[in-house]
Amino acid sequence: MAADSEPESEVFEITDFTTASEWERFISKVEEVLNDWKLIGISSGKPLEKGVYTTGAWEEKSDEISFADFKFSITHHYLVQEPSDKDGKEELVEDALPLPVQDLLCMNNDFPPRAHCLVRWYGLREFVVIAPAANNDAVLSESKCNLLLSSISIALGNTGCQVPLFVQIHHKWRRMYVGECQGPGVRTDFEMVHLRKVPNQYTHLSGLLDIFKSKIGCPLTPLPPVSMAIRLTYVLQDWQQYFWPQQPPDIDALVGGEVGGLEFGKLPFGACEDPISELHLATTWPHLTEGIIVDNDVYSDLDPLQAPQWSVRVRKADNPQCLLGDFLTEFFKLCRRKESTDEILGRSAFEEEGKEVADITHALSKLTEPAPVPIHKLSVTNMVHSAKKKIRKRRGVDESPLNNEVLNTILLFLFPDAADKLADGFESRTSTSAGNNPPPENEDYNLFSQFKSAPSDSLTYKLALCLCMINFYHGGVKGVAHLWQEFVLEMRYRWENNYLIPGLANGPPDLRCCLLHQKLQMLNCCIERKKARDEGKRGSMSDCSPGGTSGDTGKGADHSGENPDKDKEVGKSWESWSDSEEEFFECLSDTEDLKGNGQENGKKGGAKEGNKEPVNLKPEGRLHPHGKLTLLHPGEPLYIPITQEPAPMTEDLLEEQSEVLAKLGTSAEGAHLRARMQSACLLSDMESFKAANPGCCLEDFVRWYSPRDYIEEEVVDEKGNVVIKGELSARMKIPSNMWVEAWETAKPVPARRQKRLFDDTREAEKVLHYLAVQKPADLARHLLPCIIHAAVLKVKEEEALEDISSVKKIIKQIISHSSKVLRFPNPEDKKLEEIIAQIMSVEAIIARARSLKAKFGVEKCENEEEKEDLQRFVNCLLEQPEVSVIGAGRGPAGSIIHKLFVNAQRVSAVPPLDEELRRSGSSEERRLNMGAVSDFPPPTGREVILRTTVPRPAPYSKPLPQRMYSVLTKEDFRLAGAFSADTTFF
Amino acid sequence: MDEDVLTTLKILIIGESGVGKSSLLLRFTDDTFDPELAATIGVDFKVKTISVDGNKAKLAIWDTAGQERFRTLTPSYYRGAQGVILVYDVTRRDTFVKLDNWLNELETYCTRNDIVKMLVGNKIDKENREVDRNEGLKFARKHSMLFIEASAKTCDGVQCAFEELVEKIIQTPGLWESESQNRGVKLSNKEEGYGGGGACGGYCSML
Ligand SMILES: Nc1nc2c(ncn2[C@@H]2O[C@H](COP(=O)(O)OP(=O)(O)OP(=O)(O)O)[C@@H](O)[C@H]2O)c(=O)[nH]1
Ligand SMILES: [Mg+2]
Repeated sequence: MAADSEPESEVFEITDFTTASEWERFISKVEEVLNDWKLIGISSGKPLEKGVYTTGAWEEKSDEISFADFKFSITHHYLVQEPSDKDGKEELVEDALPLPVQDLLCMNNDFPPRAHCLVRWYGLREFVVIAPAANNDAVLSESKCNLLLSSISIALGNTGCQVPLFVQIHHKWRRMYVGECQGPGVRTDFEMVHLRKVPNQYTHLSGLLDIFKSKIGCPLTPLPPVSMAIRLTYVLQDWQQYFWPQQPPDIDALVGGEVGGLEFGKLPFGACEDPISELHLATTWPHLTEGIIVDNDVYSDLDPLQAPQWSVRVRKADNPQCLLGDFLTEFFKLCRRKESTDEILGRSAFEEEGKEVADITHALSKLTEPAPVPIHKLSVTNMVHSAKKKIRKRRGVDESPLNNEVLNTILLFLFPDAADKLADGFESRTSTSAGNNPPPENEDYNLFSQFKSAPSDSLTYKLALCLCMINFYHGGVKGVAHLWQEFVLEMRYRWENNYLIPGLANGPPDLRCCLLHQKLQMLNCCIERKKARDEGKRGSMSDCSPGGTSGDTGKGADHSGENPDKDKEVGKSWESWSDSEEEFFECLSDTEDLKGNGQENGKKGGAKEGNKEPVNLKPEGRLHPHGKLTLLHPGEPLYIPITQEPAPMTEDLLEEQSEVLAKLGTSAEGAHLRARMQSACLLSDMESFKAANPGCCLEDFVRWYSPRDYIEEEVVDEKGNVVIKGELSARMKIPSNMWVEAWETAKPVPARRQKRLFDDTREAEKVLHYLAVQKPADLARHLLPCIIHAAVLKVKEEEALEDISSVKKIIKQIISHSSKVLRFPNPEDKKLEEIIAQIMSVEAIIARARSLKAKFGVEKCENEEEKEDLQRFVNCLLEQPEVSVIGAGRGPAGSIIHKLFVNAQRVSAVPPLDEELRRSGSSEERRLNMGAVSDFPPPTGREVILRTTVPRPAPYSKPLPQRMYSVLTKEDFRLAGAFSADTTFF
Repeated sequence: MDEDVLTTLKILIIGESGVGKSSLLLRFTDDTFDPELAATIGVDFKVKTISVDGNKAKLAIWDTAGQERFRTLTPSYYRGAQGVILVYDVTRRDTFVKLDNWLNELETYCTRNDIVKMLVGNKIDKENREVDRNEGLKFARKHSMLFIEASAKTCDGVQCAFEELVEKIIQTPGLWESESQNRGVKLSNKEEGYGGGGACGGYCSML
């Protein structure tokens, strides 16, 4: 019906659109939008269920329209409802009241905790608002307001739309709306009054009733009864009996170890300020009839304790300062610093007049002389071995960013083996803090491979935590630079003196960890080899004895308790070989050394001459026989040789290498070159094999090395016997293929006399140089995954104490999000910030839970059942916007809340004199302050909804819903009335 | 880099020595079969651009040596790979039995858990088959892999194997976009949808 009416009116009104005024165009635009949104016609829907405004979903649709060149936004707000069935629609009576007008009287959704203000004021389930599009635009003049109002009136009339249409007038912050709703023979006007100063008669119920009645102007006597819903809201800001216990930790006491949960190797947790700022108690009388209670200028029956309904909401501090979050944020800020370590330290304590600081970046040049270590006192290992060091006297030690005590604590924490050495021979403390770490199969423990961080018991992880703490408490970026410098010195010291670095898994760099961790592991590999070499040189002058004992003793001396795993980790399927690595390189890589040793020299010569006929050679470097295999020609047992371990690699080296290999291109020559570049290991193995098996041939080698390339077949020989005949596979037989080529060049040289495949000296220096040039920002980026890892573990640990299901879910999300972000090189800052923000929000939630728990004395509650109820109540407060209090003021939660208010009141009962004078100004308080101190402060908000059904405008008009909402706060007063009138008979 | 190439994908071929990894790759890139192909030393490398669903993708394919002694090196090539082809020889059961080891290694060294895996049973042209097609299928299903049988010699299934793998990678959200983004290749803002920003803090679709 409505859709049809439109063309008619157009025909009637306008034939020439060019002459249409701006006003007419505006109206037709509004109508168009209402049409587009299908808001035309009879509104339908079910009666509103209780609380559906809170539990249901609200949606909105927006468009833009303009009046001349003034832009408005037009928005449809609506509660999502199940589409009403077709049958229901037919039942609708043509002249029934529009749904919105009926809703004015519905009491099922008064005072919704979270809703559009028009919903709160008028109880509407659906409405359209036209408001200036720009935030600071406003419709101010009365004539313009009237123009708009008549526009919507016409649009509603033209379209037959039954949805209330509002326009927003005045400045946006005033939230002033006027509107209209039309239905068959009925019109409801929505009016509003907004005042900064409250006239006295509006502060109590009887005054409001008077206004309501006079607005209705009902001619009937007696007037039909007015129903009332009242809500008084009280705010508690002063949590008297409860002090927020978490003070920022005492930093000075820190050196002792554990203070306020602040401990090196641990992240702090919790809010520094109360994350719950206010409690709002709403006491509600949902349904009163006029005359039952008295509330006037001098007396009030409205005692909050007696209110039939109580509900509570809490105001959460927006961004409460929380320790973990602060730590993370500050550490993340490091990533953006530009300065190098030298620049930072150079400007302060480390400068010496005229002389450069001992430049650790020029490490290569210092190989021959003992490295001078600045600030001798501060290096732990140095404390032990200080005698060996030439100490440079420097001034300004006291000015160094970290004081000695802190630094020493940290270094001992990072390098506990130094303490062991101090204790001289005290060897029981092998693996660091072994007790309190999760077992290595645990899900938390393995988080490092998801985050590409480092195991939580590793040196790298601990270093990250120390740097994080230092950054926060001990001199910021300067402290970080200082500790890092000390750390690098320690690394060099260990390399030069063959001390393994503690807190790192043995074996080649673990590619699942962050690059810095890999670098440290690499350095450890270098130290291990150098140490083995040095010990081999010292210990075993006898050069036979494969798998000999010298290596074993060397191992026992310093490898700490982590060793049992070692053999398994090195070389996997080749584990039987790995034991012997200590013996590899007793002759060093330099040929000079070879020449110096007559015995070796002779052997080398022998190898050369005997290249074609190696049979005469004495076998060397045998590991063990290869099962029952024998050599094809001499028939000797076939021995597996001792071989060199392939070079350990960090991911950046590997990346480099694969780039080089890829650059060779895909041509045949490229492929050949690539194979050749990678054949060092093959050649080395062939040489070892030849040395261990004099008289062997390529077939022998292949049978050990690539058994599938030696094809054995049963053949029947001339005599009819079945014999097994073997030959190389086709691909091995190709003339001049790489394998044949390598075999021909390979000389019989045992692994220990071969050129090293892995130049530990060079690699160690490369690592040390790499470490030395890392800026604090680089470090922070390297270690951020460790910090996030640690933060997640911390949050998990704290959550476990509280058991908050929503937090569990978020933590899961954080983990999956982080593992996506952190696995890639150079994750975007934006994504990292997101992760940090998520962790912070979890911290805040947990802190809030704790705060509420303490405030409501959940722990103190002795009755188990009540305790459970309280706990549930507290959890609801965290998750829901408003929670109703079971039993109102008389329930267990209610009486706790009551007490909280009473305590707060008692403290403020003795206000300064002048304040008291000022306070007694308002009648509200005069009334409440009569007599003794009341339990509650004056209400912060008074909301009243008045409703009735009366005929308007004439006594013989249809009885129609009338409603007025009023709210009184400290700042302002608002009346929002919806007055319906019969448009048929008046 | 070619302008119309959508992305560069890193593919890895692994499996026991002699199962025909290099032969499969040669068949795919050069469409030939060379019985005189030498056993691979270390890793080899080939490039081919293919078009899947109208998208051109450049494949950088790393062919690793199956030889045990070279294996200490190969885990490094698992890094950053978006796809892996795991090959066994249908005429040698032992190469099939070893598949578990390969998957373990992959799990350990691969930097991402959403890498697309394809199982290829090679040498189906040969008579003396030892591994039934169904066994391969079962294994693939158990480990959520793509599966195909092929012959580098007769060309059966080879093209299909690579195309299928690439298609799957392209369909996997986040697998190829962010990788190429980190290499500085500009792509359309495909990421927005799943990872970036949004009202839910960017992680709603992550669980
Ligand atoms: N009949 C037949 N032979 C094949 C097929 N694919 C490979 N071969 C042969 O199998 C042998 C090994 O093939 P390669 O491609 O070198 O094997 P691979 O897996 O690369 O071996 P590695 O490089 O040692 O790891 C060669 O002699 C090939 O000719 C096939 O589909 N059918
Ligand atoms: Mg190969």
